[in-house]
Amino acid sequence: MASVTDSRLQPSQKDAADQNFDYMFKLLIIGNSSVGKTSFLFRYADDSFTSAFVSTVGIDFKVKTVFRNNKRIKLQIWDTAGQERYRTITTAYYRGAMGFLLMFDITNRDSFNAVRDWATQIKTYSWDNAQVILVGNKCDLEDERLIPTEDSQRLAHELGFQFFEASAKDSINVKQVFECLVDVICDKMTESLDGDAAVSNHKDCSLQDAADEGHSACAC
Amino acid sequence: MTDTMFGSENEQWVCPNDRQLMLRAKLHTGWSIHTFQSERQRKAQALEKRELDLIMSVIHRAEQLELIEQHRIGRLVERLDNMRSSAMGNGLSQCLLCGEVFGLLGSSSVLCLDCCMKVCTKCGIETTAGGQKRTQWLCKICSEQREVWKRSGAWFYKALPKHIRPIKDSILDNRKPVIERGEQLPVARSAPISYTWAQSRVYLSESDGSDAELSECSSDRKTFASETNQRRDSESSGGQVQTPQSSFTSPTRGNVHIESPSSLVSEQSSSSSFNPGLEDEVIDHSRTLLTPPALSRAGSLRSSSTSQKSEGPQADANRDEDDLDQAFGATALVASKKEEEPDVEGYDSDDSTTLGTLDFSLLYDQENNALHCTINKAKLPVPRYKKGLKPMDHNGLSDPYVKLHLLPGASKANKLRTKTLRNTLNPVWSETLTYYGITDEDMVRKTLRISVCDEDKFRHNEFIGETRIPLKKLKPNQTKNFSNCLEKQLPIDKTDDKSLEERGRIMISLKYSSQKSGLVVGIIRCAHLAAMDANGFSDPYVKTYLKPDENKKSKHKTAVKKKTLNPEFNEEFFYEIKYADLSKKTLEVTVWDYDIGKSNDFIGGVSLGINASGERLKHWFDCLKNKDKKIERWHTLTNELPGSGYND
Repeated sequence: MASVTDSRLQPSQKDAADQNFDYMFKLLIIGNSSVGKTSFLFRYADDSFTSAFVSTVGIDFKVKTVFRNNKRIKLQIWDTAGQERYRTITTAYYRGAMGFLLMFDITNRDSFNAVRDWATQIKTYSWDNAQVILVGNKCDLEDERLIPTEDSQRLAHELGFQFFEASAKDSINVKQVFECLVDVICDKMTESLDGDAAVSNHKDCSLQDAADEGHSACAC
Repeated sequence: MTDTMFGSENEQWVCPNDRQLMLRAKLHTGWSIHTFQSERQRKAQALEKRELDLIMSVIHRAEQLELIEQHRIGRLVERLDNMRSSAMGNGLSQCLLCGEVFGLLGSSSVLCLDCCMKVCTKCGIETTAGGQKRTQWLCKICSEQREVWKRSGAWFYKALPKHIRPIKDSILDNRKPVIERGEQLPVARSAPISYTWAQSRVYLSESDGSDAELSECSSDRKTFASETNQRRDSESSGGQVQTPQSSFTSPTRGNVHIESPSSLVSEQSSSSSFNPGLEDEVIDHSRTLLTPPALSRAGSLRSSSTSQKSEGPQADANRDEDDLDQAFGATALVASKKEEEPDVEGYDSDDSTTLGTLDFSLLYDQENNALHCTINKAKLPVPRYKKGLKPMDHNGLSDPYVKLHLLPGASKANKLRTKTLRNTLNPVWSETLTYYGITDEDMVRKTLRISVCDEDKFRHNEFIGETRIPLKKLKPNQTKNFSNCLEKQLPIDKTDDKSLEERGRIMISLKYSSQKSGLVVGIIRCAHLAAMDANGFSDPYVKTYLKPDENKKSKHKTAVKKKTLNPEFNEEFFYEIKYADLSKKTLEVTVWDYDIGKSNDFIGGVSLGINASGERLKHWFDCLKNKDKKIERWHTLTNELPGSGYND
């Protein structure tokens, strides 16, 4: 009974604050452990930074509402643990994500080499219309840089992702990365509705069949 | 199915962790997997209870957020269904939403891009679809449908996510206890199983963690009771992954096979809070189920069509209501016109056509308190009659006359009229009408309204045009000429009439006679009294009191003047009173209409004394200051007077 009462009270309280938005986007931050995923999210959501490294346990999320293109958009941003032992839990949340931030550390070559593997995971576990942005974090540590910007741009172009270099510590390009991801998802939303209107029912089925075949091909 | 699962296993298995990547870099090796490393991996993957609690708290928080989102989507869907059910038209010859008829006399229609139904331009929204140059139209229902797909995320998941409608809140509350009871059962059942495993396995570690995992597995088994036998076997073997000894004795291929069930179990567990995942799994495993989104949309269109057909009778009923509203509106307009001007019918004229011109002059004689209005001539248009009425004047001419009113005030009391000129559109009256008793205060406050009308012997006189002159424009004792264009009839402010109901004018003279030691009150005459008799006149007389008066000895009456609204009395009354006492007195003057055989009618009254205001107070003070001097003033009669209930 107590839990029922609690669950009743909380939604009603949140209703007043949470209902004042137009769209809801679910975003996911992935990448190797210790590249700065959690710090990046805290910088964007709370504008705070902590140097101490605390490994994320499994999964976590934060909520932030932004005003973009005359629309109020509520972002549910999921932060995942990069360690292998949490992989089975984190991949379960790929399915609901509309956008991904694929992060690596420019001072850590292993994290950059793992970008292809993470991209493969996105293709495996997420919807095929999800949008991905590649982020090279810790760009404030220029003296320890191991990954040239040209290499990152080439890889991003090869994978079809947009690329940013950012710093959660110095708050460089943090806001721009999320704004770009929101804009890309909005464009995709408009495209999909216009496409739905123009395509007849028959073509709609064939399009989905093609998408499914593409999915199978990726699996192979 | 088997191939898909094997592929999934392959995908997950080859994803490296940090250690493997470092090892590869050092040894410069490719995709090699060692049994020893795999064993260590498996140990590290066992999650502690503390970690599980953390993850479960995050999942719980996400579930609450998801519930709020489901309610929000439910409200969006509810609103869309309400819009569909309130559609009135058939979408072909009528507007789909408001039921307005298209055609030559009706409004223009546009075609909705999505549902191919016709709507009027008010019930449609103009959009620019894609990169096309020409604009497209969407009806408000389809536009709202698109908006719901955007806001709910259905555009991304290819189907409408799970949602809770506002009406079903009570049902949801009933369902929650059932879920809780369901959750309790697995815990009770897992205890003996765990006990059995503990007895048979010597090297079991972290029994609490194992218990939690087993509880989770049992809960999953409960959730997916309808799974096939193959899946049940997978889940059963998946439970054994937690025991290191068991996995140690398994062959390599067995390890690969066991890994996937654990992933599936975890995914299924998470999908309870992530419902789109279920739909995704269905889509992944079967192509035939890809059609549900299209079918659901087609079903939606069919539902919309059905709704339109069922709304047919209501559309007709609404049309009848519209006709009734129009008739009532017309009736209200007619009543309004009658109330505004009982003597003259409303005249509907074209704005672009002039109503004629009027030449007149005004002179304010300040000394005599008289306003002289000289009506010279007018130039009138050819009269047009109302649609559907037969013209009475076949010659196309008018019989014009002019009416004057002073606004604000009772219209009958201050109405003046010229004579009627026959069969002319260019009348020349050259007639002077005079208002008497006009004070300087009136010249600031009053407006003169001049109306030109057409007299008809057999029906109501027709209004031609009017013009209004604020009297403050006039300078005293200077004649001013006007040549004004006539305008349409303007509404009369009724609130002013209620607050300031005038009943005419009265001229009173006051003089304190030192010789006689008393007040001499002279009733000279009245002007523009209100008509109290059916013949349009009154039989007025005047009564005066000097109050307070205990014995009513101060009552004086004038003679009755028959059948006139502008009587001349020229009578004086004497009140014997000391000069020192006069300042405490109040002179009360009332005008009455004499009626034979019944109570006399009160026309109006006025008070002069210390408590009076304006012109009356000034008159009283002038009398007190100037002994033995006769002072004459005009005063306005009003219908409100304390003690006006006196009857003869």
